[in-house]
Amino acid sequence: MPDDRFLEPEIETMPRASLAALQEERILELVPYVYERSALVRRKWEEARVKPSDIGSLADFTERVPFITKDDIRRFRDQAGDPFGGLLCTRYADTSTVFSTSGTTGDATLYAHAWDQWHPFWAATARDLWEIGVRPGDYVLGSGFKMRGPLYHSDQMLGAIPVMVSTAIGGWATALDAIRRYRPVYAQLTGLALAELDHLSRDNDMRELFSSFKGAGFAGEPLGMRARQQLKTWGVEVYVWTSTGDVTGAFECRQHDGCHAWEDCVLLEAVDPAGTAPVAEGELGELVATSLDNPVTPLVRFRSDDIIRMTRRPCACGRTHARFWPVGRKGDETIVAGRSFVPMDIWRALEQVPETATALFQLVRPAREIDELKVRVGYDPDTTTSIPDLRDQVSEAIMSAVGVPPVLELLPEPELLARGRGGKLPRVVKS
Amino acid sequence: MTLASTTAAAAALPRPWQWGISRYDIAGQHVYFEISWDDWRRDTAWARAMLADHGTGPDAGLVIVGGSFESPWFDPFETAARELGAPYSTGEIWAFEAFRTGMYARRLPITMIFGIDRTVAEGLGDELAEVAGRVPVIVARPDAAGLLAEAGAQPFIVTRVGPAIAVECPHRSGAHLNGAEWTLAERGGELFISTAGPRAHRVSEAATGLAGRLAEGPCPCGRTGQRVTVTETQGA
Repeated sequence: MPDDRFLEPEIETMPRASLAALQEERILELVPYVYERSALVRRKWEEARVKPSDIGSLADFTERVPFITKDDIRRFRDQAGDPFGGLLCTRYADTSTVFSTSGTTGDATLYAHAWDQWHPFWAATARDLWEIGVRPGDYVLGSGFKMRGPLYHSDQMLGAIPVMVSTAIGGWATALDAIRRYRPVYAQLTGLALAELDHLSRDNDMRELFSSFKGAGFAGEPLGMRARQQLKTWGVEVYVWTSTGDVTGAFECRQHDGCHAWEDCVLLEAVDPAGTAPVAEGELGELVATSLDNPVTPLVRFRSDDIIRMTRRPCACGRTHARFWPVGRKGDETIVAGRSFVPMDIWRALEQVPETATALFQLVRPAREIDELKVRVGYDPDTTTSIPDLRDQVSEAIMSAVGVPPVLELLPEPELLARGRGGKLPRVVKS
Repeated sequence: MTLASTTAAAAALPRPWQWGISRYDIAGQHVYFEISWDDWRRDTAWARAMLADHGTGPDAGLVIVGGSFESPWFDPFETAARELGAPYSTGEIWAFEAFRTGMYARRLPITMIFGIDRTVAEGLGDELAEVAGRVPVIVARPDAAGLLAEAGAQPFIVTRVGPAIAVECPHRSGAHLNGAEWTLAERGGELFISTAGPRAHRVSEAATGLAGRLAEGPCPCGRTGQRVTVTETQGA
């Protein structure tokens, strides 16, 4: 039964030993299942000379089963003409829904589920919203992007009432009207939404508007320091969340000490981004995910390209499942003129210039090592009086952060926002 | 399983009568409306019959194109597809998301695209003709019909009418309104809507912001309710 803090206290605070036993049980069911049904898994395992009979424990699984990368899935898809890249374990006709990843870093990957009442990805999120404080009868600003399916299912599962108004780019002016009217307790925010809210804050009392909120989720990209401070000023407690290799969501709890994975649903590993060995607790590693709850397109030791720090120490909230802190994407590190930096360095630099403080930018990078630092930067056309002056200020800020003078392409924010996808602006692009 | 345990935990919680709240805009005015769970169930049953008429069944695959905020109109069709055993994917109605509708149509055995609008049709660019040639049934919003026809499709029409939705059946005799729930009146070429069923949202002769014409009398499909042809959107 739910308690004041947890929707499923017996699962969310399960002792680690019980959780490991549950994971092992599910892994040992999964191993023969995927070997028989997933063409990509079979190919990878045959290449690695691994058979289901070799796997008798969780330790065997993490030591012997080969990784699957996004490139493996794409390669299989292109070679075999299989839209699911060899991941589908049922017939297409036996699936209920097929959704896809955002596609911000390349061709979107398909994933499917079979379900009856609630979409599985959002079902697990109900635990997170409950901990944030969403309760039956509460209103939730329930829109967003549907690329992962009906996200309002997590609201409806909890007996909350989704208020479905557009919160896409250009929609927030009217979404504020819905906030005034229904006083929701929660909304989903993205970086692009924050850029829009930043403009709207000039004519609206954001602190009063958001005073009904118990929290707001933020996902899709890192939350910059300025944006975090701004949300704090508005009185919004922000809960960063991300996905566990596209298996489920992982939200911060009220302790704000890492994103909680649901390990009864996903087996998480953190491995050396350049190798295969597990990294020590708290060290930088690549998130590797195995689905424990999706018999349709289960990912098996999927290398997500997400760089994280992870711990399995219990959280102060009482939950025992693994927590992790997203750090960035593998391959985002860029070397220009022998100097190394990550997109967050440019982000922080742009936040210091008022006209570009929303930090809407794209690093134009044909390769990881480049000769010139080309950055496309969005500026606020309402407050920018001199483009040449702005160019000087932005150049100086980036030069100071990265140590290399940038080649800038300045665009009004609306033009740059139009290049977003799924609520995200790709921060690293090839052209 | 996680889903099973979470579903069981959630089932023990009290549930309000509202499925959700949404809004339609008439000439810049926001009209909020509530949808009850009973409304949603009846809408889903009606959507199921409309999709079945278009051949949706276990061998079908759908892309349903609509914004998340349009879920009161389109979720019943998503649920209906699932109930009919047809897998579905969702496309969004933003230009930058048009690629997703095209990707599903290209990669999956899609038999119907439902709800495509002009923004997505334009966003598909050169791919539109390929999509039009590949997908047997396209049910489009009125503003996309011309583009799709130019691309070689013979689209049927789906249109939001205030809080309601109207869908053309395979006989192409105007978009059917669910007469058990809503009635339309036409005055001077403008459409006005009234609640007919036991819905949470009650309106009487409310402006829809749409110009169009109505057809009464039986359709060859056997339905007897009103059919609407939207000719112009007036700031909706």
